[in-house]
Amino acid sequence: MKHNLLIVVLCIFSTIHSQNCKYTFIGEIMDFHDATPMSGATVYIETLNSYTTGDINGKFSIKNLCNGKLVLVISHVGCETKRIDVDIVGDTYEKISMEHHLEELDEVSLQNKGNKTTKTAQETVIKDNVLKRYSSLSLGDALKEVAGISSINTGSTIVKPMINGLHSSRILILNNSVRLQDQEWGIEHAPNIDINSANQISVIKGAGALAYGGDAIGGVVVINSSKVIRKDTLYGRTILGGQTNGRGYNISSTVNKNYNSGWFAQVQGSYRKNGDFKAPDYNLTNTGLDSKGLTTRFGKNKFQSGFEVYYSYLKNEIGILGASHIGSVFDLERAINLGQPSIRRAFSYDINAPKQDITHHLAKVSYYKRFSNFGKVTFQYDYQNNKRLEFDVRIGDRRNIPAIDLTLQTHTVLADANLDANLNRKFNFGIMGRYQDNFANPDTGVRRLIPDYNKYDFGVYTTTEWRLNNDLILDAGIRYDFNRFDAKKFYRKSRWEERGYDVDFSDIIIDETPTQFLTNPVFDYHNISASVGAKYYLNDKSYLIGNYALSSRPPNASELFSDGLHHSAARFELGDIRFDKEISNRVSASYNYNTSKFNLVTEIFYNRISDYIYLKPFAFIPTTRGPFPLWEYQQADAELFGIDVNTSYDVTNNWQWQNKTAFIKGYDLKNDIPLIDLPAFNTMNQITYNNKAWCNFSASIKSEWVFEQNEFPDFNFEITDALTSEKREIDISTPPPAYHLLHFYSEATFSFGEKSNLNVALGINNLFDTSYRNYLNQLRFFADDLGRNVTLQIQFNY
Amino acid sequence: MNTKTLNLKTMKINYLNSNLMKTSKLFLSALFCLTLITSCSDDDDPEAVLEEELITNVTLTFVNDADATDIVVMTSVAPDGQDGASIEDVTGSFTAGATYALTLSILNAEDPNDPEDVLNEDIIKEADEHFFTYAVSGGINLTMSRDGDDIDGADSNKLGVNTTWVAGAVSTGNVQIKLIHLPEGADDSDEFGSVTGGSEDLNITFTSVEIQ
Repeated sequence: MKHNLLIVVLCIFSTIHSQNCKYTFIGEIMDFHDATPMSGATVYIETLNSYTTGDINGKFSIKNLCNGKLVLVISHVGCETKRIDVDIVGDTYEKISMEHHLEELDEVSLQNKGNKTTKTAQETVIKDNVLKRYSSLSLGDALKEVAGISSINTGSTIVKPMINGLHSSRILILNNSVRLQDQEWGIEHAPNIDINSANQISVIKGAGALAYGGDAIGGVVVINSSKVIRKDTLYGRTILGGQTNGRGYNISSTVNKNYNSGWFAQVQGSYRKNGDFKAPDYNLTNTGLDSKGLTTRFGKNKFQSGFEVYYSYLKNEIGILGASHIGSVFDLERAINLGQPSIRRAFSYDINAPKQDITHHLAKVSYYKRFSNFGKVTFQYDYQNNKRLEFDVRIGDRRNIPAIDLTLQTHTVLADANLDANLNRKFNFGIMGRYQDNFANPDTGVRRLIPDYNKYDFGVYTTTEWRLNNDLILDAGIRYDFNRFDAKKFYRKSRWEERGYDVDFSDIIIDETPTQFLTNPVFDYHNISASVGAKYYLNDKSYLIGNYALSSRPPNASELFSDGLHHSAARFELGDIRFDKEISNRVSASYNYNTSKFNLVTEIFYNRISDYIYLKPFAFIPTTRGPFPLWEYQQADAELFGIDVNTSYDVTNNWQWQNKTAFIKGYDLKNDIPLIDLPAFNTMNQITYNNKAWCNFSASIKSEWVFEQNEFPDFNFEITDALTSEKREIDISTPPPAYHLLHFYSEATFSFGEKSNLNVALGINNLFDTSYRNYLNQLRFFADDLGRNVTLQIQFNY
Repeated sequence: MNTKTLNLKTMKINYLNSNLMKTSKLFLSALFCLTLITSCSDDDDPEAVLEEELITNVTLTFVNDADATDIVVMTSVAPDGQDGASIEDVTGSFTAGATYALTLSILNAEDPNDPEDVLNEDIIKEADEHFFTYAVSGGINLTMSRDGDDIDGADSNKLGVNTTWVAGAVSTGNVQIKLIHLPEGADDSDEFGSVTGGSEDLNITFTSVEIQ
């Protein structure tokens, strides 16, 4: 009886059911970004466990459906598979958007090539697997992987990247889409970047990337965090390293948590420390380093919209070679003649004056949304706080008070629209506003090197990229920037008159003390920058790139206001508030040739800079410390040109040869002299053996050959020893001789299960403990560069 | 169907425009607020810094042990301290055969109303980090010695603030005084003194010094 009832009920139920199951669902699959129909998509009807396919118009239909929920899983070549729920209420129609240009829209990172941010600029990408080798070093060291990139150093821990002979304010560094604002005007101010937070670094020579700024006369460095993966996963990486030279050690750890829903979070921390480094023949006393970094970010990353909150913290305490603190030109002369540092102590981790203590905070929030048949709109706000303390050799209670205490705060808002509905005609436009506040703490008891100032920047830009046919891509861009400096600076009355400002700027004096004027210089700069380029594929193996960039850089705070003693150089450095902007016209061409075995990149450039600003000696004054040279920033037209070549050849499957060569010349056209601090001709050869079967083993020998710079300006000066009336020349110009170094590197990766592996790397830098000095090291007058360094690094991926 | 898509498209564009407008309005007002906040909070003038480690006036006063009116004064005045030009001057002349006691004065007189005694406040307080050296040249017959009560300076050498000078035969020449901060090595065995390393805080030569 019971059974019968059940059967009856079931029958009625199923009759009702079958009665209503006659509806049709029509789906139309279209491309999200340009709203065109997509044909040939596979549709899996999960609820029915059956398949169908979209027709040529992107349409498909499913018949005999009941009211209720329908789950569809749609996949298409090149698309992210999409799973949707459809409510069937009678006959139902629904539009389904898919995106099948993820690659072109920079959504998917190409595993092997790396993601370039420009099409026609001379851009090179340094990837994760190379960057990891620099875990215990700095950004400037890692960038030297690229031919034509060198660095200007103060010792071996303050490393500033130099792109085709230009550095500091002429290079724009972008950290996770935030333009780094860290008082980059100073030659001893290394970029505040923790190399361990970078997943990929792009180096763009010249000012081709206008969206980032119009003043990158030298180039742009783009540092990116890892791409967010949209799947449920937890992974991480820990690096442990040790180095014999400086008895250094470093640890860095990253943990990522990602969700299929697009939510993600990442935490990365690193710490590195070393004590006094060693040149082959002596200790480099007071060259220790203590560096702490923390980076964290979270957000949601969906195809159509997303946001990110990012924060990074970096604190560096950097010792500067003790012997480089000098008081007079006689001290400098003695240091040069001595040939080794005057202070040589036993090894120590202690960091004493002279030293730098720099803290950099960077916080960013960004939001983006993609609109169908339009493109992507991004908003970003970022805040940076850069605190720079420089401790000098002082006496008494002042010992613990920094001689330089600067705090630079920067707020930036950015809006950017990227119109990529038509992949053959992309447009990008944006607007940027920035406010900067520099505070020079008067408690130092030393007159401010850089004054208090407010700076206002405003920029608008538009760029476009046209794919004319399969072989030719054109791009162009234009940008306008407005900059205003509003400073409050004290001038010694004597300096005010020496500079002739009493004639030209008497109206900016707002107050005075018995010995000083307080002035309020307000300067506005209008800058136009532009670029145009073409990329032409000659065949499937090779292409040509041509690019022209106009860029314009207003003078920086140092070039305008600098007024003080540069200790390690025993000279005064004076700025000039009359300066106008620098304007650069750069033309470049590249030839790329690629086969599976052979790879060649040749890049040439010519950069003509009007009103190029650089430091040049101009006078001598007698002081209570003897004669002292005065150096002032001057403006002169200049030209730079050069060629960078990168070649690699797979001799066999296991043996590879690589060469990187760079050659550059630069001249001051007004004074008809070579430019100072240009890298000499250098060539790097590397032979690598690798064998995938032996746990991905590889070993390489690298030869680094740096020639002597034979063209340099003669800024030598003659001093008269008042005691003996003897005249002596101080040779500060002659570059050190050429040198050749050999480096060894080997690594192997051991897998544990599917997701974990352990990479062990052993390296020996300066294999033969060769003594050498580098022309581009500001401390070359005082000491040799580093001797042999054996490094061991263990990387655990999990 | 076609009209439907078209309508949808227009709607989407409208929606897009309004959305863009909303966000750009938000953006502009944020920019405006930012400028407002920062420009209001920043109208204070910075305070002047009076250099603390400046030496503007160096005076060497030699007084004849036998005749307190026989004085030779050597002055070096640098109004901007080490950052600017200095002017040296010598008044008086040494008497042949006489013995002189040298008194040093080292001041920071950037604020003329409140000069700072750098010698006593800074140098002597940190005598172990400092060392004075002297030198003569050009044929002047001057010898010197560091007094028994001179203060101990770097490497337990006598600092060189209390010294005695003996003028020999009639002659003319130069006298030099140097102050070295943190010398690596100091040696006063020849009385004039010599160092290795360190940085020179003073290096002044007085010319045309006379013994009559």
